Amino acid sequence: GLLSILRKLKSTPDQEVRILLLGLDNAGKTTLLKQLASEDISHITPTQGFNIKSVQSQGFKLNVWDIGGQRKIRPYWRNYFENTDILIYVIDSADRKRFEETGQELAELLDEEKLSGVPVLIFANKQDLLTAAPASEIAEGLNLHTIRDRVWQIQSCSALSGEGVQDGMNWVCKNVSTKKK
Amino acid sequence: MFVQVCLYFYCKCLWRCLKFVVRKLTGQCELQRICYNTKPGAARTMKIEASLKGSKSKRLQTSVNVHPDAIEKTIDDIMELKRINPDVNPQLGVSLQACLLQIVGYRNLIAEVEKLRREPYDAENPQHEEMLLKLWKCLKPNSPLKARISKQWCEIGFQGDDPKTDFRGMGLLGLYNLVYFAEWDTEIAQQVLTDSLHPKYSYSFAIVGINITDLAYNLLVSGALKTHFYNVAPEAPTLTHFQQTFCYLMHEFHKFWIDEDPLDIMEFNRVREKFYKRILRQLQNPEMALCPHFAASESLINM
Repeated sequence: GLLSILRKLKSTPDQEVRILLLGLDNAGKTTLLKQLASEDISHITPTQGFNIKSVQSQGFKLNVWDIGGQRKIRPYWRNYFENTDILIYVIDSADRKRFEETGQELAELLDEEKLSGVPVLIFANKQDLLTAAPASEIAEGLNLHTIRDRVWQIQSCSALSGEGVQDGMNWVCKNVSTKKK
Repeated sequence: MFVQVCLYFYCKCLWRCLKFVVRKLTGQCELQRICYNTKPGAARTMKIEASLKGSKSKRLQTSVNVHPDAIEKTIDDIMELKRINPDVNPQLGVSLQACLLQIVGYRNLIAEVEKLRREPYDAENPQHEEMLLKLWKCLKPNSPLKARISKQWCEIGFQGDDPKTDFRGMGLLGLYNLVYFAEWDTEIAQQVLTDSLHPKYSYSFAIVGINITDLAYNLLVSGALKTHFYNVAPEAPTLTHFQQTFCYLMHEFHKFWIDEDPLDIMEFNRVREKFYKRILRQLQNPEMALCPHFAASESLINM
């Protein structure tokens, strides 16, 4: 499936990669997680607590942690920062009213000491919706170009259809291997 | 592989022969023997269901899929096919009919529940909006909602200021269940809500309700709930039965959650999984009825 790209990468066998999936509630984190694991995405419910899926692939064992995005749960995010290899931040591109809120949360994450230097991939999700803002507009709104202390990437995608997800994961792999080697 | 296939046909053949011999000895067909030897409820209905599905007659196989209105005719056909004299065995037709109503009803209930689940919550639909507001009124009768979009929704355990995005994969089914719980089991629903706000055991009531809807839905679709429904529904199980089961599961989960003494909300999925397995285990017992206080009058099925 989507992670077959990972198999193509030459790397030491069974290298474990810890991926943290964060973002506001209703951003689409769980749908993305299930899409990565090639599971059914039609029965998603809001995440209380967290979900974790390990996806085995040649040379990689991806441990993806999907933590609930509800305001009440956000204080728990920090419990999962330790040893994170890649941060994936998911944004609902159609929820313009909360761009400011999501920008603030992202800025706070990037200030976290335990996440310093961790490569960050931002998924501009829900591009299947007509009202979705394009990735370039979101990048500008969030001042992503000011990020200088780590590698980052913004990728437009639709977790629902799977479009763009593969490209994002491709970037993830490249940056895992460069960082870990 | 080949050996397994041979074994399968051998067993099937053996089973057929055995049925034939028993039939000749007792003068009764399998359906009759089940009805006479098994007491009504899940034990009997599940045996009848297996017998009909495994029958070599097309008419019997398809009888589990008929329209509810065609059940009487189907029973007549089965009696005729099996050469059972209805005057000599007046009870049998009635018993078979009760079983078939349950079997067909369960299938139809899955379809009905699935339809509700697939209908997304639509803020433009006045009926949907009305139900949402009703949920608030039932849970918080003394504290009016100040605006449709309001932080107050968090007080009953939605994630943000507009619940519409929280229904997701459970669609209207989640809302229907929550409203039923709040409206018909008000005292317990309000109690569970109050307890869920306790700092030590805190969880989001409405969100957990949507999660438990998913749990109940999975139990239904997998067939695990047959035990329960065949024991409590005298005829076809209905949406109301499903919603009552949801109320029971909400209350049970709440007690289970407190007994588990979780460290914080991050333990939710672990506890939920454990709870799910426990319910599944309970439903393996054919005598099991999840919520006996809802049990329908036994006299009706006791035929």
